[in-house]
Amino acid sequence: MFDLQTFSVPVSIFLIPYGLYMAVFIFYCFFNIYHLIRYGLYGFGLYIIITIFAGGTILLVSGSIFILKEYDWSQPIFLNNIIETYSKDLFKSW
Amino acid sequence: MYDLKKLPNQRENEKVILFLRRQWFSILIIIVAFVLLSGVPLLIAWYFWDIVNTWLFDTTFGPIITIVGSMYFLLVWLSTFIEFTDYYLDTWIVTNERIINVEQEGLFHRTASELDLAAVQDTTAEIRGFMQTVFNYGNVFVQTAAEKERFHFININNPEHVKEIVTQLVEDDKKRLASQGGALIGKVKILGK
Repeated sequence: MFDLQTFSVPVSIFLIPYGLYMAVFIFYCFFNIYHLIRYGLYGFGLYIIITIFAGGTILLVSGSIFILKEYDWSQPIFLNNIIETYSKDLFKSW
Repeated sequence: MYDLKKLPNQRENEKVILFLRRQWFSILIIIVAFVLLSGVPLLIAWYFWDIVNTWLFDTTFGPIITIVGSMYFLLVWLSTFIEFTDYYLDTWIVTNERIINVEQEGLFHRTASELDLAAVQDTTAEIRGFMQTVFNYGNVFVQTAAEKERFHFININNPEHVKEIVTQLVEDDKKRLASQGGALIGKVKILGK
């Protein structure tokens, strides 16, 4: 029988919405760069703007991946575990 | 890519006189918003570092908080650049023959229109409010002769000077048109032989 307290899902389930979000983010980034190249004013300034935007985007995305890969994504999430962690551990430094 | 030396449908002897964008104040607002939206959460995290650190090392909450944080900062970065692109691509080009108005509204809406200077009937400069008076920026409205259409130069530097230049260019274009035996029908310039 289904028991809510022993029900668990892996933490990696959160990577699905994150992956979708990243796909939309990258689409918008490319579209933004396309707009700048297609309609921007020809000159050195435009190249600097595109470099800053592309560089910052690469830095943020790679930084996010670097931090996220440190976690163990196979960890299960138990409902009772969340409640205990929330009530006992998360605010223990207060 | 736009090149001021090669305008779209450039006419013979056409020269760019003014290239206008919104005043630097518009870009300052974007930068301040970016600094606040990215700096305030980082400051809060730094102030409550003991708690945040506990959350980050938690096997359940750590990944979720990191994902949410990553999504937030990516959103701030992208929104800032979309706003910047909107600012950067909003331009007004005044040549000795016409006015070209390019407006970018978000990523999926772009309007490009042009107007012959000889069709201009009235030019108005507007400086309104404390900030515009102190930093000398404002709007210029260019009204056409035949229709109720107006071109708006929004939040540009030194609007009165721009208005004077546009007025002078309109006069020159009308004289040139008259000397060539041309005529203006609506917004269409018919050059004489």
